[in-house]
Amino acid sequence: MLKHKNLTLILLAFLVFVVWPFSVSAQEKIIKIGAMYPMTGRPGLYGLDSVDAAEMAIEEINSKGGVAGYKFEFTNTDSKAKPDYSVMVAKRYITQDKVHFLFGVVSSAVGLAVTEVSKQYKKIFIGTDHASTQLTTDKLQPYYFRVSNNTFQSMAAGALYLKELKQTKPWETIAYIGPDYAYGHDQWDELKYNLDRFGVKYKAVGEYWPKIFAPDYTAFITSIGNDKPDILVAGFWGGDTVAFIKQALPYGLLTKTLYFHPDAGGNYELMSAMGSDLPKGLVLSARHHNNWPDTELNREYVKKFFQKTGRYPTYAAEGAYAGIYAIAEAVKKVGNPDDTEALVKAFEGMKIKLPEDPDGFTSYIDPKSHQIVQDQAIGVTVPNDKFPPAKLMLGEWKVYKAEELLPPKEYIDKLQKK
Amino acid sequence: MKNHAKIKEVVFWALFFVIFGLIPLLEKSDYHLILANHILIWGMFAMAFNMLFGVTGMLSFGQALYYGLGAYSVGLMVKNFGDIWFLPAIGLGLLSATLVSILIGLLVIRVSGVYFTVLTLAFGQLVWQITFKWYHFTGGDDGIQSIIPPGILANHTVYYFFTLLLVAVSIWVLRRLVNSPMGLVLRCIRQNPDRVRFLGRRVRRNQLRIYVISSFFAALAGGLMAGVDNSIHPDMFYWTTSGEVILMAVIGGIGQFFGPFIGAALIIIIQDVVGARTEYWSLIIGLIMMVMVLILPKGLVGEVQLLRGRFRPDAKNRGENGTTFSA
Repeated sequence: MLKHKNLTLILLAFLVFVVWPFSVSAQEKIIKIGAMYPMTGRPGLYGLDSVDAAEMAIEEINSKGGVAGYKFEFTNTDSKAKPDYSVMVAKRYITQDKVHFLFGVVSSAVGLAVTEVSKQYKKIFIGTDHASTQLTTDKLQPYYFRVSNNTFQSMAAGALYLKELKQTKPWETIAYIGPDYAYGHDQWDELKYNLDRFGVKYKAVGEYWPKIFAPDYTAFITSIGNDKPDILVAGFWGGDTVAFIKQALPYGLLTKTLYFHPDAGGNYELMSAMGSDLPKGLVLSARHHNNWPDTELNREYVKKFFQKTGRYPTYAAEGAYAGIYAIAEAVKKVGNPDDTEALVKAFEGMKIKLPEDPDGFTSYIDPKSHQIVQDQAIGVTVPNDKFPPAKLMLGEWKVYKAEELLPPKEYIDKLQKK
Repeated sequence: MKNHAKIKEVVFWALFFVIFGLIPLLEKSDYHLILANHILIWGMFAMAFNMLFGVTGMLSFGQALYYGLGAYSVGLMVKNFGDIWFLPAIGLGLLSATLVSILIGLLVIRVSGVYFTVLTLAFGQLVWQITFKWYHFTGGDDGIQSIIPPGILANHTVYYFFTLLLVAVSIWVLRRLVNSPMGLVLRCIRQNPDRVRFLGRRVRRNQLRIYVISSFFAALAGGLMAGVDNSIHPDMFYWTTSGEVILMAVIGGIGQFFGPFIGAALIIIIQDVVGARTEYWSLIIGLIMMVMVLILPKGLVGEVQLLRGRFRPDAKNRGENGTTFSA
């Protein structure tokens, strides 16, 4: 008797665990997303936050019954931040796993390699974090869309901030420090271009190019101290920002010169890593802020992310969150995730309300460049302990209108001629 | 004995052509073609590297220099002059690698052991740094994209067979080289360079020759890879690429001619299978390396050979010496 009971239980368990999932998946219509975020090494936190935020968006959408009768299925493969490996993964996603969308990535080098795959296989690639302007200008292809600001937009906002600053705090000299690779160089070139474009007069007194992930910035800090720029523009990202600021503090560098870091400096990662050691008065920005805009949507997004993960999000997370909602919007419009050409049309010009949109503005995808167009806010570090372990957050915001930040045609032509 | 070696040779080539020839017919997905292409190219690169390490006893930590040189010759030519230059660019890469390896080789072969390893590493890193920093010309860390082979080679299956043919010819050439009198001299150099000198053979000249030959095939691997991935990046010059090829050779067995090819296949498949399922892929690779070093120190193919040797009638006389190179 007992034996029979056991047999029945085993059979039931077999049905529940083996047969049932197949029967469910056979009925469900799926939107497959193939993501390539780095989960290890220096950019690992960006990958981790992006995956958590994408999954959060998917849970939200799927719990409401999905979109157009489809539910999301999300897979991430650690890209190792390596372009060649990511190319293999992207091709596997397309030809083996039959994903509907390629999704990610953190490194611009990986983004440039994956957009090539997307072009060849005519598979839509949603860029969520990488910032290289090239992807939406001279390297643009029909199946690529980016849902976070690029470096040009950040630097255009930065140039406008510096222009306004002249009126309240006159400055003349400027210097730049950034990682010695394309991302660092692009920012400096784009800032100078935008300063000229907006008619800002300046004298560049120094350029400093430490290696990415450099452990020691002492030599550069001494040189900057000697050059005495009024404004020090920084183009670091991730742990490099933290390391530089920590090392610059004992030299008093940040009290003598204004530290200005408009692309990735305002990432929550810096505030959480430095706590009360973070100096007041640094001028920073990023592609998303946990305390700006003070809208219901942003508050809700940050709160949900914290509830899900136990930590506050970095800006990378919001890009992934926005990417999933943009896909949902496109599929809703087209009615299925298979008609790629119709989806491309749906993305072009798409309007989508995102956590980083202030009241009265809705993000949209520029149909020509496939680049999301968003307002950008630049803030100053001020005491704020509402997002522990951070003790300072950004405040005293200045907001720049999205349309002013897009690269003009002549700039795109210049890039294409290169 | 001779017959046995011939049978082994025939079996390898039969398996090689059956497995790699059938992949495009059996698999409809492009992905398996790409995976097979990676195995072929890395396999050839690892075998060429092993001509230096396993055969001659020269541990170069800078073969990525030539791999990158081959890839960047193709990338830069296609970017600046159009895809029609794809094939001439592969030739240019081979020529550049030959010239550069002669120049660098003349310097590095003057030292041996760890000094040779460090010098090769230094030259490799030097070129990586130049490629990384000179971003107006090389594209810096963004690399170069849109490297599409011209005409019929743009078709993935055709390009696969093109790679298969070149890799097969390369392996055949390397095999002939190992079995030639020069191959014998190289093996002797690994075991006792002083005795080779005493016998009247020129050690440095032979070391330079094999350094150039190995670099030539590394550049061919880089050039072919540019056409598979359609994009290149400075990591191809980086020391981790040299490290990866050493890992492949060690896992497959540096004492066996075909060992590095098997090692390359194993690493690529593990990376693919494990990487698709967990981000802890590096932990798995690390564990495999540990097992290999502790339990199978002669590499996969070396241990299989050893095992087979034990079951042969003349087992007592075979396979005990781990330092031999089995061609």
